[in-house]
Amino acid sequence: MPGAHRGVVSRRGPQPTGSYPHAHIQGNMVWVTAQAGRDPGNGELVVGGMAGQMDRAISNLEAILEECGSSLDRVIRTQIMYTDRADVEAMDEVYARRFQAPRPVRTSWGVKFLAAEPGTELVRVQIDCLAAVG
Amino acid sequence: MSNDLTITIDGAPEPRGPYVHARQHGALVYVTAQIGRDPKTGDFVKGGFEAEFNQAIDNVEAILKAAGSSLDRVVKAQIEFVDETDLDAMNRIYGERFHEPLPARTSFGAAFLWKGARVQIDCVAALD
Repeated sequence: MPGAHRGVVSRRGPQPTGSYPHAHIQGNMVWVTAQAGRDPGNGELVVGGMAGQMDRAISNLEAILEECGSSLDRVIRTQIMYTDRADVEAMDEVYARRFQAPRPVRTSWGVKFLAAEPGTELVRVQIDCLAAVG
Repeated sequence: MSNDLTITIDGAPEPRGPYVHARQHGALVYVTAQIGRDPKTGDFVKGGFEAEFNQAIDNVEAILKAAGSSLDRVVKAQIEFVDETDLDAMNRIYGERFHEPLPARTSFGAAFLWKGARVQIDCVAALD
């Protein structure tokens, strides 16, 4: 409904581990919570370092966007946080393959740490977005 | 409004990644984070934090102008910088470049930025 706003939790994205939905729709825009490279099936981080995590994180965004009536090609803006400066080329390579023209604007920066994952590989990257709906 | 345009211009540093300079959507324009690269050479400007931050704002300004907006219509700015001792210089330069009505702002220290940049700034601005 135009003007309505609501939170969305999709069965196709990794289940939230805190007090947040996958996305929030307001009017004809959807704000998507930052996604890491977690498998939506078991919630665990995928293997494959930056490339594997980035690809999975974007697939999670894609599933959530579709649930919201949007898609990757309607993303206007992304933000990417990553933990290792040596990962920048791998990050861009995956990103360029997954986001085709018209490409979004982007802000990315290095962070000290992301979500802790005891016993598994560290979360190396997360990405959020703002997209048009409809 | 149904306009949705991507904007990449010659007057700002050529993108070194899979992104555009700006996106217009509805009544707003969204600008990719800009760093202190000279639009002509693509290299970082010399002169440390102050020169980089002024150039980054110049780049944002050029992109906003091409998109039909301007610094005085910025609604929200976000700044990342790597050295906390640059905080005072950041606030001083920002105050010189942005005037009333000042945008909402988020700024924070990043662990690192692209290719050793000291600072970057992005924004959302109104088109009208």
